Amino acid sequence: MSQNTDPTRRPQIAVLANIYGRRLHTEHIVDRILDGYGWNGVYRKPSLEVVSIFVEQRGEGDLVPERAKRHPEMKVYNSVAEALTRGTGKLAVDGVVYIGEQGDYPRNEKGQTEYPRHRFFEEVIDVYRASGRSVPFYLDKHLSYKWEWAKEMYDTSRKMGFPFMAGSSLPLTWRIPQVEMPLGATVRESICMAFGGVDSYDIHALESVQCMVERRKGGETGVEWLQAYRGENFWKAHEEKVWSPEIFKAAMCRSFTRSPGRAGYTDVYPTLQQMKALARDPVAYHYRYKDGLRSTIMLLGGLIEDFNFAAIIDGQAKPLSTMMYLSKEIEHATLESYFNPLTYYIEQMMLTGKEQYPVERVLLATGLLCVGIDSLFQGQVRLQTPQLDIRYQPTESTMRKT
Amino acid sequence: MLTRRRFIGYSALTSAALAYRPLLLPGMAQTPRDSSKPLVRVAVLGDAYQYGSQLQSIVDRFLVGYPFEGDWHVPAIQVVSMYIEPKRRAQVAVPMAPRAAASRSAQENGGITIAQSAQLAPRGGGTRAVAAPEHAGTPGQMDDLSVGRSEEFGFRLCANIPEALRCGGDRLAVDAVLSVVEQGDYPLNHKDQILYPRYDYFQQCAQVFQDEGRAVPYFNHDNLSFSFSEAKEMVNISEKLKFPMLAGSALPVSWRLPDTDIPMGAQIQEAVMVGFGGIDSGDFDALEAMQSMMERRKGGETGVKAVQLLEGDDVWAAGESGRWSKELLSSAQSRSDAPQGLTVIDGRPQDMVSAGVLPQLVKDPAAYCIEYNDGTHATLLMLNGADQNFTFSARVTGQGLIATQFFNSPLPNLTFTAALASKIEHLFTTRSAPYPVQRTLLTSGILEACLTSRERGNQRLETPHLSVKYQAPAESQYART
Repeated sequence: MSQNTDPTRRPQIAVLANIYGRRLHTEHIVDRILDGYGWNGVYRKPSLEVVSIFVEQRGEGDLVPERAKRHPEMKVYNSVAEALTRGTGKLAVDGVVYIGEQGDYPRNEKGQTEYPRHRFFEEVIDVYRASGRSVPFYLDKHLSYKWEWAKEMYDTSRKMGFPFMAGSSLPLTWRIPQVEMPLGATVRESICMAFGGVDSYDIHALESVQCMVERRKGGETGVEWLQAYRGENFWKAHEEKVWSPEIFKAAMCRSFTRSPGRAGYTDVYPTLQQMKALARDPVAYHYRYKDGLRSTIMLLGGLIEDFNFAAIIDGQAKPLSTMMYLSKEIEHATLESYFNPLTYYIEQMMLTGKEQYPVERVLLATGLLCVGIDSLFQGQVRLQTPQLDIRYQPTESTMRKT
Repeated sequence: MLTRRRFIGYSALTSAALAYRPLLLPGMAQTPRDSSKPLVRVAVLGDAYQYGSQLQSIVDRFLVGYPFEGDWHVPAIQVVSMYIEPKRRAQVAVPMAPRAAASRSAQENGGITIAQSAQLAPRGGGTRAVAAPEHAGTPGQMDDLSVGRSEEFGFRLCANIPEALRCGGDRLAVDAVLSVVEQGDYPLNHKDQILYPRYDYFQQCAQVFQDEGRAVPYFNHDNLSFSFSEAKEMVNISEKLKFPMLAGSALPVSWRLPDTDIPMGAQIQEAVMVGFGGIDSGDFDALEAMQSMMERRKGGETGVKAVQLLEGDDVWAAGESGRWSKELLSSAQSRSDAPQGLTVIDGRPQDMVSAGVLPQLVKDPAAYCIEYNDGTHATLLMLNGADQNFTFSARVTGQGLIATQFFNSPLPNLTFTAALASKIEHLFTTRSAPYPVQRTLLTSGILEACLTSRERGNQRLETPHLSVKYQAPAESQYART
């Protein structure tokens, strides 16, 4: 593994993407790398140089021509290998950023979109191997829709020894209130009450939980089982108190988008009957960690439209609770500023050669997602998860403070 | 942009159900009140209990509770009486006609919350005129809610203010008064100030207090008056009759991104606030937010020496000459989630200051230049067309730049009114103001002076009457938990 050792020039980055269009992940991240963004109370100028780009799907709304015109140092290539080698036959960049989110890809029988993340990853690794060196690699979002491939990608990065980061921006964004899980806390139960679809927003809820509970006493030691609930089963589980009513309510009270159950009100705590009427397609993944911690993520679109975390912590009378704030949910927001910290940490990895937060976090979240989808697909059964024997310690908090 | 029409789709019940009251089941999952606490009886005075009005969003907090610190809080407060101006109660959906004045006049935001006025920040060229709200034409949207609420929650609807304070009896029968006067269709004066009757409401209450030899805490939503001398009289009366008073906007007490404040006793070298919205509405919220930061500076607040409201090219020239800091503007805008222009077109972030795009985006810029008595200066830049967030940045000795976004809570919940409700509750239950009413006295005066400057051809105006002195509380008063 080597990194840019010339202090007089910025690290040179290859960008790979499924698609580059307005308000898609590629645009949010790459525009920030190219043009800067607000950070720490100032407009932060670009600290990386994008020297090559390969975008697989170029159709209507493609932003590559405009961006390439404004940034002539960014050359447009027709393959992963070409973007990484830039005509030299060998790896010719200091880092790789691959935005593997969005684009038109097939959906499988489980309802997963088959993003080509493993394929792109393999093509990058081919260049690394042929060149005899590897460079830091960032992948948006999670590793793969297939657990075996996700594990393989992680293992490869460890074996080849290159810095590898991936995953959601939810752990990195503003929190309202701005609170962090105390390091070493004994966490009894956690919840992330969220919205959005299966296989699209559930991963964000899983990462929202994980970035908090990984800080618990003993660190992360893996998950034992997971069971999904949907529709009628969801409400049955709720009424049977499969998850704690106390943290359910705490998470609900952190939301800024509770649908009022009554006309003529802008904010009134919904009754159970109203919740059932409002939540379009309630889904929960309820899982037990090896150390006994229970967690639930739930998708309650129609009832709420934001991400809210709560946890019961030993020694604290009230649950810890907060919203992971996404500006896209605000009707007059034009910037999805949760990409600011994501871009910052990508830059930091490229500049320092060090992972900024544990990639094991996204490996575990990816694994939980796969199991959640499998549980749904198999009729909402409880699935044991020996493959999720993933252990890691947290790094410094990535809650946005600046 | 989220219109009222789309927003209605969020509710389980359509507006048609409003016509069928029996369908509205009263069973609400309320946390029961703590019955060991005596209930504080409140009279509510206002001009619009309509869906989406400030009064509706605030007063409902005292009827059905509100989210607070990760729980649903039901205050030990009981609304016992209400006065809503009668002509409002009969009003049905009427599109508010744009003002016939020149582009700088503003007022259509009657009954508009901060969030709504954010949506209404101008279309078609960024003038400081505000277009008609989109709820015009949606059946039922402007319907009065006071009758339905009074039936459900058992408070008395009153024909006048003294009756509301006496609850229909012959003695003062409430423990607190909440006044929310907000409709935008009062007349304007020649300075484009909306002639809200807030002073009139207050005086009617003060008369009752005086007659009975007893007075209770009073909350005045938004600025005290369009006239500083009226505002001053209100505060003087509250001191004379010894009742605690609180006033102002929700913006300073709501959430901030990041969660930051000016350190108490800091030396502020200069500050810039970015705001948007109409004259005598968005600018007031912005001035209050800015003042909530400035008041914490070394020496405490000692008032304002002079103001000047610049417009048009003079705004940009003042930036170039260093009258206001472009570095601080860029810093404030770095906190914004709502830059306009190219960001709307293709989603990209921008540093508008160094790109030099502000003059073309902001058709009607205004700089409210404030010179404090202690030599500190601060500038509110109203940048309709360029930005739709309220942001702030200050250069602070030994701290560098302190910059934040005053968060504008989204529909449907408008949680900034929950933050404000917790301050009102503090006033009503402890009979002490969590922060001085002098903040709003000063900002009311600053706003009046700035609009006077504007009316006099953007002249610099000395403001000896604005030597308002007060000490801000050491503990930050905005939503942090």
